[in-house]
Amino acid sequence: MTLSRPTWVSLILAVIALAAVSAAVTYGQTALPWWDSVRSAVGIPTNSPADFIVGQLRAPRTYTATLVGALLAGSGALLQSVARNPLASPDLLGVTQGAAAAAVAAIWAFGTTSSLALAPAAVTGALLTSALIVGVGWSRGIQPLRLIVAGIGIGFVAASITTYLLTAIPERLVPQAYLWTIGSTNARVWDHVAIAAGAIAATVPVALWLERRLRVLEMGDDLAAGLGVRPVRLRLAAIALGALAAGLAAALTGPIGFVALVAPAIARRLVRTEGIVLVPSIIAGAALTATADLFAREIFAPTQVPIGLFTAAIGAPYLLYLLRRARGWNS
Amino acid sequence: MNDHHHSPEYRLEATDLSLAYGAARVVHDVSMPVPPASLTAIIGPNGCGKSTLLRALARLHTPLEGRVILDGTDIHRRPTKEVARELGLLPQAPIAPAGITVRDLVARGRTPYLGAFTPWTRADADAVERALKATGLTGLALRGVDSLSGGQRQRAWIALALAQDTEILLLDEPTTYLDIAHQYEVMDLLHTLAAQGRTVVTVLHDLAQAARYADHVVLMSAGLVLARGTPQEVLTEQRVSAAFGLPVTVVPDPVTGTPLVVPSRAPLAGLRAPEASPEASLDAHHRQERTP
Repeated sequence: MTLSRPTWVSLILAVIALAAVSAAVTYGQTALPWWDSVRSAVGIPTNSPADFIVGQLRAPRTYTATLVGALLAGSGALLQSVARNPLASPDLLGVTQGAAAAAVAAIWAFGTTSSLALAPAAVTGALLTSALIVGVGWSRGIQPLRLIVAGIGIGFVAASITTYLLTAIPERLVPQAYLWTIGSTNARVWDHVAIAAGAIAATVPVALWLERRLRVLEMGDDLAAGLGVRPVRLRLAAIALGALAAGLAAALTGPIGFVALVAPAIARRLVRTEGIVLVPSIIAGAALTATADLFAREIFAPTQVPIGLFTAAIGAPYLLYLLRRARGWNS
Repeated sequence: MNDHHHSPEYRLEATDLSLAYGAARVVHDVSMPVPPASLTAIIGPNGCGKSTLLRALARLHTPLEGRVILDGTDIHRRPTKEVARELGLLPQAPIAPAGITVRDLVARGRTPYLGAFTPWTRADADAVERALKATGLTGLALRGVDSLSGGQRQRAWIALALAQDTEILLLDEPTTYLDIAHQYEVMDLLHTLAAQGRTVVTVLHDLAQAARYADHVVLMSAGLVLARGTPQEVLTEQRVSAAFGLPVTVVPDPVTGTPLVVPSRAPLAGLRAPEASPEASLDAHHRQERTP
């Protein structure tokens, strides 16, 4: 029995993700015994500095980043399938910006910058923005191109609102609020990991449930409808789920760009398909973000660089490489 | 026969059907029973509403007035998935996912039988193999759909619809964009399917194909059904001329004896460019000689 291509691509990506996560928890500014780091990373007390440095600093941050990457990639895979466009992603469609704007609005209204307290605002912002995009993009059903154009426009409006609010909130809150415009995995705690794991557990099964029908929908609305799929309903469900996942991701780390765009593209290229491949996409997102977070944390240590910079730095060249290599076999 | 009531001998039937896109009404008060175990061709000029009528028969277009009845029930009151097990549809321009193999494409025809997490069963695999065999694609099952010829690709799409295991099969212009050999290859397949007991309804552009292969022809024009019946009954000079706005002559097909529709006039010489090349003038001269 040979493994199917999506399966072995998923396995290879999972090995890469695991390697990146292992490196992120065992490697850092403070050299620690390897075995102590590993045990602390899985929650076994070692009565050594690793309990704090790994158990409270590195591990929750790395796990949060990895799970957020998975959420973003799942969101991107869903939205790209719905929009029939490889460039659709929550950051391009304005969903991420909507989540950030809502979070900054909550800072302005309630004066708190606790990322856990702001999570409901970010999720609500993402869902409201996606509803707005669907409303504006609607013309006798969901028109993919209208959806993208509406999303780009609404994304700019949301970004403007965020920028305005940053000038309107008390100055002492600005440094924390500013993080909502770039995303950060710094100072994540186990509560973040728990929420991220819960978000994955809640969204991924639903996404898998939609995936088979999304593949059929990719062959055209009429053909899908003839096979018992309801195109409009399915698109609305996939958009809502994609926005929810992107909103949860933004709530946990702020907007991390590029992952939702690139991870599904990497997965599709490796699987050699243009259709949705959810599991490989999600694992690619986890691998990409885990790697990017390690680089963001260590490359200019002790100065930290926003993770979004590194998701772009790793993701963009790889996408370009794949596009170059793929030239020819599509036509 | 009374069209206003469902006739039990027809599984699929349109009654007093009016269809519109927004405010524009494109099909007016059409009643059409679909004869079982036979090939029905819907023909008519561009924009006459034939594709819209086919979409309505497949439950893809909600009627403005009237109903489409499947097995005695309004098709719009039946669950989508249930309808998809009774009736298959091949639309005009389906999109083949890049890199997909013939077998994987055909396997997607099993969608109405699969839940989100339902495992692939022996029955599904058997249905796919039967569909491949019926369309002569068994040997090409592992080939990429991208690498097939136009006719083979169209057969793969038909195989997808066959894997759906429905007795009724609706197709929208399955021969368009194919060369003449591939067109007849597809028509032979549809004819065989009807002979084996499937109810096949297809929108066709080519009147010669409709005349040769269809058991029943539905002639539409401007959203109305002008005539329905056997090709001999429907494809008369008067009816075809009226439907298409072109004077035609109907002669017996030299091969099958079925009606063959040809335009009544030769090409217009008057539309020629004034400064035509010598060859072109010679050509025009010959044409004039032939014109009575």
